[in-house]
Amino acid sequence: MATKKELFKYTLSRLALLPIMLWIISSLVFILLRIAPGDPVDAILGTRANEFARESLRMKLGLDKPLINQYLEYINHLLHGNLGISLNTQEPVKVIISRALPASMELAIFAILIASLVGYLIGFLGAVKPEGKIDFLGRLFGIGTYALPPFWAAMLIQIIFAVLLGWLPIGGRLPPGLSPPPPFTGFLLLDSLLNNKIEIFFSSFKHLILPSLTLGILLSGIFSRSLRLNLEEVLKKDYIEAAKSRGINETRLLVRHALPNTLLPILTITGLTVSSLIGGALLIEITFSWPGIALGLQEAINQRDYAVVQGIVVVISSLVVVISVVVDIAIAYIDPRVSY
Amino acid sequence: MLKQNYINNIIKISSIFLFLLQFSCAQHKEREHIVVASAGKIESLDPAQANTLRTLQILSALGDTLYKLNKEGNLSPNLASGLPIASKDGLIIDIPLKENISFHDGSIFNAQAMKFSLDRFMKIGTLNYLLNDKIEAIEVKDEFLLRIKLKKPSSSLKSLLTSVNLTPISPNSYSNYKDKFNNKSFIGTGPYLLENFSSNQQIIKPFKNYWGKKPLNKGIDFINYSNSSTLFGAIKAKEVDVLISNSIDDMQRLTLNNMVKNKKLNSGEGEPIEIGYITFKSNKLPLGNKTIREALSYTLDRELISQQVSFGTREPLRSIVPPQLHKKELFPWPKYDPNFARSLLKKEGYCEADILTIPLTFRSNVPADKLLALTWKDQIKRDLSDCIKITLNGIESTTVYKQLSEGAFEAVILDWTGAYPDPEAYLNPLLSCNEIKNNTCLKGEAVFSGSFWGNNEVQELLDKSEELEGEIRLKNLIKVEQLAAKGSAYLPVWLVNPKAWSLRDISQPEFSRDGLIILKNLKRD
Repeated sequence: MATKKELFKYTLSRLALLPIMLWIISSLVFILLRIAPGDPVDAILGTRANEFARESLRMKLGLDKPLINQYLEYINHLLHGNLGISLNTQEPVKVIISRALPASMELAIFAILIASLVGYLIGFLGAVKPEGKIDFLGRLFGIGTYALPPFWAAMLIQIIFAVLLGWLPIGGRLPPGLSPPPPFTGFLLLDSLLNNKIEIFFSSFKHLILPSLTLGILLSGIFSRSLRLNLEEVLKKDYIEAAKSRGINETRLLVRHALPNTLLPILTITGLTVSSLIGGALLIEITFSWPGIALGLQEAINQRDYAVVQGIVVVISSLVVVISVVVDIAIAYIDPRVSY
Repeated sequence: MLKQNYINNIIKISSIFLFLLQFSCAQHKEREHIVVASAGKIESLDPAQANTLRTLQILSALGDTLYKLNKEGNLSPNLASGLPIASKDGLIIDIPLKENISFHDGSIFNAQAMKFSLDRFMKIGTLNYLLNDKIEAIEVKDEFLLRIKLKKPSSSLKSLLTSVNLTPISPNSYSNYKDKFNNKSFIGTGPYLLENFSSNQQIIKPFKNYWGKKPLNKGIDFINYSNSSTLFGAIKAKEVDVLISNSIDDMQRLTLNNMVKNKKLNSGEGEPIEIGYITFKSNKLPLGNKTIREALSYTLDRELISQQVSFGTREPLRSIVPPQLHKKELFPWPKYDPNFARSLLKKEGYCEADILTIPLTFRSNVPADKLLALTWKDQIKRDLSDCIKITLNGIESTTVYKQLSEGAFEAVILDWTGAYPDPEAYLNPLLSCNEIKNNTCLKGEAVFSGSFWGNNEVQELLDKSEELEGEIRLKNLIKVEQLAAKGSAYLPVWLVNPKAWSLRDISQPEFSRDGLIILKNLKRD
């Protein structure tokens, strides 16, 4: 195992890189947004506003200042933890993110749980009896879900379970007429329990099922394929043969000897998936009208709401970097061969 | 055996959980409110900031306007007690107000409150230029008499007073929001008051002390979905009671219309307020040549395009003002005539050796625009391939709007909805120009619309119409439109009617003249 000291040094170096990475990302976003055609003033006023109205708004939003001043102001605010004010709604960006991020995270957590449960189970069963029926169907499932366009799968699931069968709601996070409980964590399920609102808990859970199931099933294909391939590889190793020759039974062989050795790539893939989902699953959020961070980011880009786009990108990037550091540390603990 | 038991237990637990979900209180509660769904979020309920149809829709239920347009299209008093009284020089307008009207917070509506609302709009309103260009000052003449002093005579101001953006708000409740937006609450005089607001859902309930006709329902829950398929699915699954047509794909509109024919849904349609058109850049060759633009105006088979793109739901249009605002039949733009188009192009030296190439830009995020571009291209290929070739270029709408005034597009597909139901609200934004040189607009609305087409006579008539009233004014504006048709810098394509579908146990949606559903008339049978 990598020594604790080495691991500590590695963690520190990764964390030290965090501000530099964030600076690069935030500067890139700042520049790219200004280069991109389109203007927040147009998005707010429409194209018909006269020059005076446009200039007044430009001044009010601080867009009349030289670009370098805007940049320095933005970085200064960022250093003080201030993500700015939305150009469109004049609402603090922090508030917008704190509303949308938990929705995306709630969806991501459930999707990952479903993907892990379904994907790893199928992959495991396939590897246990290679070339068997389960293995064949599992491979088909893996390739199928991997190849399915997310929006198409989402719409199909909507039509079947919401429109035709009417079992589950078609979209949104809560049914019409039901107000969310006062936000404490932002996670609707948790907040409704904390506020003892069982009705809201069940309703929000129902709304979560279709999007998380769709996303989970779409992701499970990658999980099942990767576990299946890694397990197959491991099962060919000499130490497995040696264990077999010692008479260890098959279940023990798989669970105690083979499976732990497949964890490294599995953990990496899971980590990467979690990281990508932190930024939201755009197509799923759009299709199910899920008010998450990806939908918010898309709307902010359309409206050229610089402050909101910059804020969301910085927060997502920070979370992705933190998650990758956590995954790296976990891998170092699990795998003694990893050195830094 | 053990495995089988394990699986059985999982199935049992899941079934119990699903059973609980199906019978959770929310699912089975009888809906008292009417659920109205539309596309997109509502970020702000401040009338000074509202600029989308969905926001105006909810504001129209929470607030009242000074005037409304009746079925004949004439001004009728609403919060005002009589029609506006203009001075002889047309520079002063007095508006008498109704008494005994209260805001949702209990405070009294009077001239002071109206002045507060208009001043605030002129100060912070995103569309404040609509008023600032016309109004010099607003004064309180008496407790229930408001005086508006104008910079120059403006007959269009009266139509502007029907705008939901100018709905009065309570000075008491907005004292901390004199110069900033109040996004999440609204205190007005309307038939409903706001119970709950989030960007995805807004709940309103009847205002008990409302001065006018009371709502026929117990409240409205607005719900906003992000895409057409979810909206369509929501009404099919009966999750919503009423569906508003903004952002519903044409294919789904057709299905919904068929459901109406089969008596599975009700529907209501308002008068068209949105026009679809093509702008030609008139300050640079080849489209700087008027004859070529004129030729192009004969090349559009509107009937075919309407069928191909929208299954006939978008009505073919040969004017840039919605027909009902003309108050008579009027078609200033010519009919489809490819042979005449060919003869015009031949005059300019095309069709034999030279083929005219037109780069046509469409907004890539507007499906109907893309279909229109593709259909017109194919139609030209079918009928005039020896003379014209259309090349397509899809660009995201925000970029298109930004680059319009920079003259980036030879021909571009756009749409326009007037801020108020008056011909001037369609003609001015497309045609008015402050500085004209050699039929080219150097400064003004025609630059922002991307045509750069300027015409001194048009400008004179537009200016003059501000001083005229009634029939003479309308004739004047019709002449403007006829001149615009001769200039051929715009090519009207179609009209879009606001439409709404409702479940069978909900009354048929009714629309006001400004294309908004009258929510208080919706009722559950």
